Amino acid sequence: MKTPARPLVLAALAFGLLSTGVRAALTDGMTEGKPAFKSMSQITFGPDGVLFVADAKSAAIFAIATEDTKAAPDGATIKIEGLNQKIAALLGTEAAQIKINDLAVNPISRQAYLTVSRGTGPDAVPVLLRVKADSKLEAVSLEKVKYSRAELPDPPVDGLVGNGRQQQNRRLQSITDLAYNDGRVIIAGLANEEFSSTLRSIPFPFKTAVAGTTVEIFHTSHNRFETQAPVLTFVAYSVAKEQKLLAAYLCTPLVEFALNDLKPGAKIQGKTIAEFGNGNLPLDMIVYQKEGKDYLLLTNSARGVMKVAAEQVAGAPALTERVPNIGGLAFTKVDWTGVDQMDRLDGRSALVVRRPGADASVLNNLETLALP
Amino acid sequence: MDAADVAVVEVTGLPADTVAALARGDQTPEAWATLFPVFAIPLATSPSAPAATERKAALPTPMLGAWRVQEGRVRFSPQFPLARGVSYRAEFRTGPGGPLVAQYQLPADTTPPSTVVAEIFPSAEMLPENLLKFYVQFSAPMAEGAGLDHVRLLDAAGQEIKLPFLKIADELWDAGMTRLTLFIDPGRIKRGVRPLVEVGPVFEEGKSYALVIDAAWRDAAGRPLLKSFRKEFRAGPADRTALEPTGWKLSAPAAGTRAPLSVEFGEPLDQALALRLLTVTTPAGEAIDGEAVLGTQERRWGFVPAKPWPKGPLQIVVPTIIEDLSGNNIGKTFDVDMFAGVPKTFSTASVRLPFEVK
Repeated sequence: MKTPARPLVLAALAFGLLSTGVRAALTDGMTEGKPAFKSMSQITFGPDGVLFVADAKSAAIFAIATEDTKAAPDGATIKIEGLNQKIAALLGTEAAQIKINDLAVNPISRQAYLTVSRGTGPDAVPVLLRVKADSKLEAVSLEKVKYSRAELPDPPVDGLVGNGRQQQNRRLQSITDLAYNDGRVIIAGLANEEFSSTLRSIPFPFKTAVAGTTVEIFHTSHNRFETQAPVLTFVAYSVAKEQKLLAAYLCTPLVEFALNDLKPGAKIQGKTIAEFGNGNLPLDMIVYQKEGKDYLLLTNSARGVMKVAAEQVAGAPALTERVPNIGGLAFTKVDWTGVDQMDRLDGRSALVVRRPGADASVLNNLETLALP
Repeated sequence: MDAADVAVVEVTGLPADTVAALARGDQTPEAWATLFPVFAIPLATSPSAPAATERKAALPTPMLGAWRVQEGRVRFSPQFPLARGVSYRAEFRTGPGGPLVAQYQLPADTTPPSTVVAEIFPSAEMLPENLLKFYVQFSAPMAEGAGLDHVRLLDAAGQEIKLPFLKIADELWDAGMTRLTLFIDPGRIKRGVRPLVEVGPVFEEGKSYALVIDAAWRDAAGRPLLKSFRKEFRAGPADRTALEPTGWKLSAPAAGTRAPLSVEFGEPLDQALALRLLTVTTPAGEAIDGEAVLGTQERRWGFVPAKPWPKGPLQIVVPTIIEDLSGNNIGKTFDVDMFAGVPKTFSTASVRLPFEVK
């Protein structure tokens, strides 16, 4: 999970906004109480400590005012060895019954949030956890919080009525990534029935009357075929003052398209600007700045961590010819192994959930790594 | 401690002044967790349990829960139900004689396995070589997370085909967790695209395959399956044709009966989508309530109305996102060849097939 690229670039302006009443506006219309989660998967922070949580089983996105807004300086080092074991101990079970779904760092407080499932069956319980700067792990109480909820736009097509409806609508949307950018929440997902690539956009603060937007994105992959493969991870990024989404697909094209094209019912033609190799699944992507330059960092299932100088993105040509296994934007390999989850901790470091050894699939750690 | 659903830990027989002091006090959860912690310790016999040294390191994290003093007892109620495979150790750290310690674990599960793979869709024995997905239907809810470890796709020689399925972070279950969707990795569906040059397609026309599910897969209760499951099939020609519902054969029922309306697709369709998406309405769009079934290996759809058929015109509504076994939709094939020209796409979200009930 990632925090939006914009506050990084416009940090000074963001502070100005915070002191002029944005806080009240963002929590306006929120309810106070206990949000009814059926599941918690992808999470990301918006402004002012608002945490967006995807609940795929409810086909909804929740915005939670964490009130975790005390600014912390750069330089914390968070480390938890045996993270899944510690979580299991806290939740009174064994590590095999714990699934860590996502990690997001609050860009204000630098505290890390984790969504976890306790249990593996249909009755698995979603839990939100927090890791403080001193690496202490705690449960976040959701008994009484300010929150709002938005249904995923474009619910499953379902014309059945009566008994047939209950029996036969078994569609569920898995959410592969979530980001907040400039007043909207963007959601990528994959259904368990129809195979399609849809990206949904919901304006925030959530309003009951405003429906979100669903778009289909086409891109050229592997030379000449358009497919509707699912977006697995993406970031918002500003290229020549225009807001873009950079989306990584299965197997592993990187596709650029304009955020402004996210209009109701739109079918968007994305521009494939890189191929990062087949037999691979992109897992997570962040944007960061180092020595005045922007970089993308992409974690993968089979091809490790890749660092891309973002200055290449502006004016990158579309890949329209057959490329060998890898082509388009140049990247360097970063020597981080076993990274499953990643977010920017501060200006210097990333926070990752990683498996330390090749055979240690039952064990993982939360670690702070210097941005490469 | 009591049974799993009402598990509490109680300390009884404490001196009255100790109880009174605890009842009066305003302990924070942190203070309670120091005085009266309960630890969850994975049993060493569990294959996923960490080594002994790591277990020791995990010990200092007490379980979440709530503490209260009531009727002379101090009680801890865990926030989550107790789990099997875990030993619970409660310590009450007060008094001169050192901490009181109690250990508990849930009794072993002696229920025999009963969950089975009920069906796999598509059910045909001949599947297109560019097949897009399987649905695995279980008889009871399953556990998430290890599915692909228990599914193997074998060629005619019994050799395992490596990494045939799309693997994403979340397995694609339905809400009840009785049905798992397995997408074939789209990069390995036969077409002229690059990955096939290196790793080969998953299926090739004329060859035989078996989808094998082993019995070690755990259900939601943590029990293995009753038995393994094997689906054998042959790969046929690729299907790269968009769906044409106008070519479907409708058999209209007679008015005043509840005889089924039946539709022959001329090819198998995606089981879940055909059952979910097809509906019968009046010309004005008012839905007719009833039950749909699929038969003849998903080539035929039947619809029995809840009430006898009214006389007059009706229609079947077919959303264009319906798929055949290769993911082709109405008006659009799964992969569109950019150099062959993009075909006209349907601007309407559904197609209507009118019929007359006489």
